[in-house]
Amino acid sequence: MRYRRTKAGVFSSLLAAILAVTALPALAHGKPAATALQMQAEPNQVQNVTVVQGDGYATLAWTHVDGATDYQIERTPVAEDGSATGNGVIVGLWRPNRQINNDKPTFADAGFAPGDRFQWRVRARFGTEAQPYSAAVVGTTKPHWGDPNIPGQNLRTQWEQTLGAQYTSDVNEYAYTAAIDELSDRVRVTEIGRTVLNRPINMFIIGYPKPPATPEAVAATSPLVVNCNVHGNEPGDREACFIMARQLAFTQDRATLNLLSKTTVLIVPTINGDGRAANSRGNSTGQDLNRDHSLIRQPETQAFAEMVRDYRPIAGYDGHEYGNANTGDLPMLSPRHANVPQGIFDESQDMIEGHMYTQGAKDGWWACPYGCTPGATVGLGQETILRNTLGLKNVVNSLLELRSSGGPTRPNESNTANNRRRKTYSGLWTFNQFFQYHGAQLKDLNKARAEAIQFQSANTGPIVLEGSREIKAYPAPHPGEAPPPVDAPREENILQHAPCAYKLTEEQYNGARTDGPGGQGTTVAQRLAAHGWKVIKTNDGYIVPLSQPQRGLVPLLLDEQAVAGLVAAERIMPTVTGTRKGALTVSGVTCIADATVRGAITVKKGATLIATGSTINGLVNADRAAGFVLTDSKVNAMVNVLNTAGPVIMVGNKISGSVLVHGTKASGPANVANGVIGAPLVAGNTLTGLLTCTSNAVTPVNLETPNTVRGLKIGQCARI
Amino acid sequence: MTDVFLDTMRPTPRRVRRAGPAAGLALATLLAVTGCTGGDATDGDGITPVAFTVTGPLCAELPAGTEPGNPESLAGMPADQAVQWIPVLTTFDAAVRATGLAGELTGVTVLAPTDDAFAEKFSRTNLDELLLHDTDELRELLREHLVTAPMSVAEMVAAGTVKTVAEGELTVTAQGSVARFGNEAETVCADYQATNARIHVIDHVLGSLPTTAGGEDDHPYH
Repeated sequence: MRYRRTKAGVFSSLLAAILAVTALPALAHGKPAATALQMQAEPNQVQNVTVVQGDGYATLAWTHVDGATDYQIERTPVAEDGSATGNGVIVGLWRPNRQINNDKPTFADAGFAPGDRFQWRVRARFGTEAQPYSAAVVGTTKPHWGDPNIPGQNLRTQWEQTLGAQYTSDVNEYAYTAAIDELSDRVRVTEIGRTVLNRPINMFIIGYPKPPATPEAVAATSPLVVNCNVHGNEPGDREACFIMARQLAFTQDRATLNLLSKTTVLIVPTINGDGRAANSRGNSTGQDLNRDHSLIRQPETQAFAEMVRDYRPIAGYDGHEYGNANTGDLPMLSPRHANVPQGIFDESQDMIEGHMYTQGAKDGWWACPYGCTPGATVGLGQETILRNTLGLKNVVNSLLELRSSGGPTRPNESNTANNRRRKTYSGLWTFNQFFQYHGAQLKDLNKARAEAIQFQSANTGPIVLEGSREIKAYPAPHPGEAPPPVDAPREENILQHAPCAYKLTEEQYNGARTDGPGGQGTTVAQRLAAHGWKVIKTNDGYIVPLSQPQRGLVPLLLDEQAVAGLVAAERIMPTVTGTRKGALTVSGVTCIADATVRGAITVKKGATLIATGSTINGLVNADRAAGFVLTDSKVNAMVNVLNTAGPVIMVGNKISGSVLVHGTKASGPANVANGVIGAPLVAGNTLTGLLTCTSNAVTPVNLETPNTVRGLKIGQCARI
Repeated sequence: MTDVFLDTMRPTPRRVRRAGPAAGLALATLLAVTGCTGGDATDGDGITPVAFTVTGPLCAELPAGTEPGNPESLAGMPADQAVQWIPVLTTFDAAVRATGLAGELTGVTVLAPTDDAFAEKFSRTNLDELLLHDTDELRELLREHLVTAPMSVAEMVAAGTVKTVAEGELTVTAQGSVARFGNEAETVCADYQATNARIHVIDHVLGSLPTTAGGEDDHPYH
């Protein structure tokens, strides 16, 4: 109104009304319900404002005004009768780069105390010139989730009870966690480890009607994991996790229960309890735990790595807060180390750009790429960061940052409580969306992981020691002004010819280390075991084959050129390539890569065979070998793997014949040898004959990557 | 279970105590000295409520009225507990806990820098070092923020100079509507009361430690 008046001078409101009426007939056919309000609309006045209440936020939506450069959202507290009980405040600024579709603007207003009643108005601006406000919409916001009269649902965190003035303390976390555990059949809380100062690191395991009883059984349900709080001074996501755990534990929503019946939700609220209690970024030793997920010098990261090994989530989110005031509400980023399998990267991108950007545009949250401001140097491929470590472990995942300050788009957040509530509820929105995405994409996620496990186990293509996959700018209107930094691998950081394996000395493998808390550290043996790697003990050292599911991570810890390496182990290059006429007898360690063997292979007692990408035209027979690794190969005969002392890995082979895996000992460090490490890995193979597994110390596993067997699956392999 | 935490955690609302006319007058005078105008001016009888009025530009952004952590609700608490309810003092609160200084926060005035003030002073790595390792140094730093007796801002301005527990001296001057300590630090929300203590929230870190903020480490990326 003001805009037109100042421009046209004599543009009376009467004239405006007449114009609106004249314009009406065209509308009237399609929309007979055009209201009196619309008829009297002022020029450029925002129309059709609606509000939909979410948990801790309210989504405003309205019809786009042609020519508007941005919009302001005003919120006013009102009483039941609609009378204002406080001043109207501009709480939001909608900008075109908030969402990927600009024709249907939305804004998630948040920061208010849940349960309060408000009216909202929206106005367009042309440059700096404000246009008339829309008519008001009124609504009561949702109270804290859960019926106060239903046990369990009525639990509240310290943060909720204090309306954000206080974060939930460690002691109150344990009480709240124990109460959920006790009151809900759907929840089991397990302690996955302890911090340096001996605080428990708990994990919610949530399923319907009950969570599966063992890690192996959980793994079979393709679980998803949320890591809520790694930096102690970034507690917003942790509070969201507590609320989400309560929702999942006690909701009666059928759609949610349906999703929960098909999978398991893993929530790790506080991996860094010492840092949270101290409000420090690092753990109690000052170590930034998100620079330790590959190296696992600390007990906190060790606990997380072991959880990933045993529960095998297929998707994850990692919660943080972020100091850049000019970015979106919810910066996110995929695992992008260049060694992350393509399918894992692609699915992660789909989760962010396909799902989060789209749903964000519906609900009014501004998801955007992390590191998207021009000239940014953040968001690269470091394997020490959980986002990348998980990607290298074939887990589709994303970083989540909650923008620390309100910034220009949320001008009402100098109020600390408003700011804290917006952050936490935006995190809650994201984690719930993550759960939805996971449920909808279960098949694709599993497929991506199975392919990634086979790709990595094949040990093909170069190894990158430092550098990232490129993330291209999202098509305009891009939710960030620039794509994340390119960070392409430099030539000197690429191994064009990947080793077949690394060999560690006794000292390297089992020697005492000083890189942990108190100048002590777990041994390399313990750390590789925490990752779940298979290691072959030979008479003069320890062999780590690259042809296993975390191949991309192996050189990052063991190569002499590694940027953040653990030890400089000896590279073992392939010894048999090309075509070999006649049979082959293996003693010592033999690496066969991209070879054709026109004859049988016999692996002698105490010897190790590592064969990848090869064709073998004869019987493969191993008895009492130290280790047996056969991946991405074609065998036109039987494969017998008997009484192996160490690891057995058979992934992605095509075998015209039968396979027998018999009598494998439980290998690996004693404390974990009976778990997934000690189990023969038989995954993604195609057999024309029988797959028979008998008398192995640990039942063989397939890491949810099934074998295709034309004959029968027999014995311990009946279900893989 | 629903109210399990409520009883122990939420400060008990207290009745607003009205001071007598004399005290009201005294405050009015002192307010004139410092120029503070943040609180409600008068009640129906024309008597200024003396207790629980906090003043300064940041007060509007902090819990007020009946919200958890409002100034009135903190008045019966020891200062170390009261600071836990003032949401801009998370770093200061963490520092008190890290240094075991809670017991010293009685019979004093606490000049508590905001989280922003700490972030402007120390890099994130430096702050972690102070909170986790260099707690002796941090304790000394906190003592430079404790004045030897509970004083309102007006009283401090009137005194002109106050002594810290660290045995230093701080000059106090009125700067428009707020008080300034030394050259930089100003009150942003002053005159919180706690048991045998006063708390003034200030916008700079005092003391002699070097500034380490201003580099890339201020906001470490994920």
